[in-house]
Amino acid sequence: MLKRTGRQARLVLRRIQKNKNPFVFSYGVTPAQKWIAGRKRREKQFKFFGFISIALSALFLGSLILNILGNGYSAFTRVQLYIPIEFSKEILDPEGTNDPAVLSKADYRKLVRNGLLYLFPADMPRAQKFELYALVSKAGYYQLCEMVINDPSLVGRRGELWLPAASNVDMFIKRHSLKSEIGISHYKVSTRQFSMLKELIDKERLRKVFNRQFFTGGDSQEPEQAGILGSFIGSLFTIFVCIAVAFPLGVATALYLEEFAKENWLTDLIEININNLAAVPSIIYGLLGLSIYINILGMPRSSTLVGGLVLALLVMPVIVIATRNALRAVPHSVRYAALAMGANPVQVAMHHTFIYALPGIMTGVILSIARALGETSPLLLIGMVAFLTDIPKTITDPATTLPVQVYLWTNNPEFGFVENTAAAIIVLLFVLVVINALAAWVRQRFEIKW
Amino acid sequence: MRTSDRIIKAFLQLSTVLSVLITVLIVLSVFSETMRFFSHVSPLNFFFGTEWSPQTAIRADQAGSSGSFGAVPIFVGTVMIAAIAMAVATPLGLLAAIYLSVYATPRFRNAAKPVLEILAGIPTVVYGYFAVVAFAPLIRSAGDYLGLEVASESALAAGVVMGIMITPFIMSLSEDVISAVPKSLIYGSFAMGATPYETVRHVIIPAAFSGIIGAVLLGISRGIGETMIVVMAAGLSAKLTVNPLEAVTTATVQIVTLLVGDHEFDSPKTLAAFALGFALFIMTFLLNMAAQIIVKRYRQQNA
Repeated sequence: MLKRTGRQARLVLRRIQKNKNPFVFSYGVTPAQKWIAGRKRREKQFKFFGFISIALSALFLGSLILNILGNGYSAFTRVQLYIPIEFSKEILDPEGTNDPAVLSKADYRKLVRNGLLYLFPADMPRAQKFELYALVSKAGYYQLCEMVINDPSLVGRRGELWLPAASNVDMFIKRHSLKSEIGISHYKVSTRQFSMLKELIDKERLRKVFNRQFFTGGDSQEPEQAGILGSFIGSLFTIFVCIAVAFPLGVATALYLEEFAKENWLTDLIEININNLAAVPSIIYGLLGLSIYINILGMPRSSTLVGGLVLALLVMPVIVIATRNALRAVPHSVRYAALAMGANPVQVAMHHTFIYALPGIMTGVILSIARALGETSPLLLIGMVAFLTDIPKTITDPATTLPVQVYLWTNNPEFGFVENTAAAIIVLLFVLVVINALAAWVRQRFEIKW
Repeated sequence: MRTSDRIIKAFLQLSTVLSVLITVLIVLSVFSETMRFFSHVSPLNFFFGTEWSPQTAIRADQAGSSGSFGAVPIFVGTVMIAAIAMAVATPLGLLAAIYLSVYATPRFRNAAKPVLEILAGIPTVVYGYFAVVAFAPLIRSAGDYLGLEVASESALAAGVVMGIMITPFIMSLSEDVISAVPKSLIYGSFAMGATPYETVRHVIIPAAFSGIIGAVLLGISRGIGETMIVVMAAGLSAKLTVNPLEAVTTATVQIVTLLVGDHEFDSPKTLAAFALGFALFIMTFLLNMAAQIIVKRYRQQNA
């Protein structure tokens, strides 16, 4: 060891070999003192590096979470404008047909524009008018259309309504201090629009409300109208299919390997194979799903059925490994006792070992759900990346999942989607935290310590 | 045995067979598509060609309609990003594992371990988002400050974020390995008056070396197969370069770009994705096997 510790140590060694005291030296600092100081310094440095590496990981996690929260918190509220609307008969249904086909094609933009002009002096120049119109989102037109179709008796009446603000206005109100004009161009808000908005705030015609649309809507081209319900339901269906297939198969495989199979080269091979499957890159499972489920078996592309089956292959090795570990933790005395009472091997496995291992198995299954929920890449390959505004109703409908939705929105260049993406990530991480807490609870509450 | 018991046992056996069948299916399905690809494009071209432009022509008589499928730039890009990732993950993960098992007080351990567990549990798409939204712009502005030209989809940004993703993986594997080092060796070293650093350097690391190598191999295999971070943060064009500040592409990125969207199943373009997938599968399979064998041998050696 001394050979590797450097020059000072060799000096000390030489003095010892010459029968001289290494701590006594005719002048200055002795080699022994230098050596010990060097060892202490290296010790400190090494400890510092270890600490730094943990601190760096924590720093990264902290900035990741802060970034997501900072970008995403504002998506949970939406800005609305209170606008007088006259459902005038001349615009909507001049012939008085009351026919939904006519009503759905009417010019709802005009209603909103008239209402906006009513709030501000109507003699403003044309360019200025368009800046005014741009304050309200297109989603407002759809909202009015829907109202009229549901209740045609509205035609001819007037009232005041809360309509969603345009995406850039929405972001601007939520994120800007509104005290000065500095930075308004970042939100593509003009000076005139800024003063119009200030006037609306003074008249109490502008409010922030909880963004229900985000939790009840499907995807949309307009960031202020896009929601995560479609992808959330897609995730639920996918997980359902995945667990319905992977749970029985994985647990059965583990039970067979652990309780029945003899130890020979074949079971060794199967074990190595399963460990390897757990480490195969997930995208390979996507290739498998594409070529077998879609190409050979002809299952519907983009559907949650195929997605769930692909993820089932992916999590099955995980479930097998977790189940085997849980079964191994059950002491042999349980098996011997059951055998002594006359149970046959299948009864021993199913009625005793399996039951005792169940909490451990459930923990493993819940954690594999978390794994499947965060998986994205195999789903891209089987086509679950389509732009879908509809919410899936059955497992054969085309759908996306929550992480795929995050991917799609990240790619969207429109400014307003940044907050939607971050908010979708917040929801995804929240669900994962809940699942992990559930696993921890099951482990603590039910697991048997032998 | 009763009939119902027999049925249960048969079901258990059948499931086991099925789980083995998955591997066979992966190999067969991906392999047969790869063979079909090689009937269009020669393997020599694929493995040694340096030109990758898989666009198929819209009209059949168009010039260059076959596309060119030289995968060398893709392999180089894949290896480069994985290497950057490991250059981040190996020191961070290993030092963190050593610090936690040698120096940390129980209180610090209880505070630090959840941080790394959370990092391990975050879906990769979230890392990809962070790389795109925050980390790549950061690297770019740092490059501007230093007067360097940094591509907006630089290999460096994707690689570093991937490295952070692999860090907890390396850490937990090497912590297991370190805790398996016989205590007698460590106490012996302390009894000789060695400092903790000297014990780590001259006793723990040599004793745990093969296990650590196994962990690193598993980390490399994860880096090569990782998809979402590179799909979101790395480039699309296959450029043969070793400059980490430029945009490179990886095998997984190409598989995704070739297969997303509507396409007929017979064109060399889609089949090329399967060939890349097969190469990826073989690479990761070999790495995993090597790691497993090394770790197994290490366990026997210390038992």
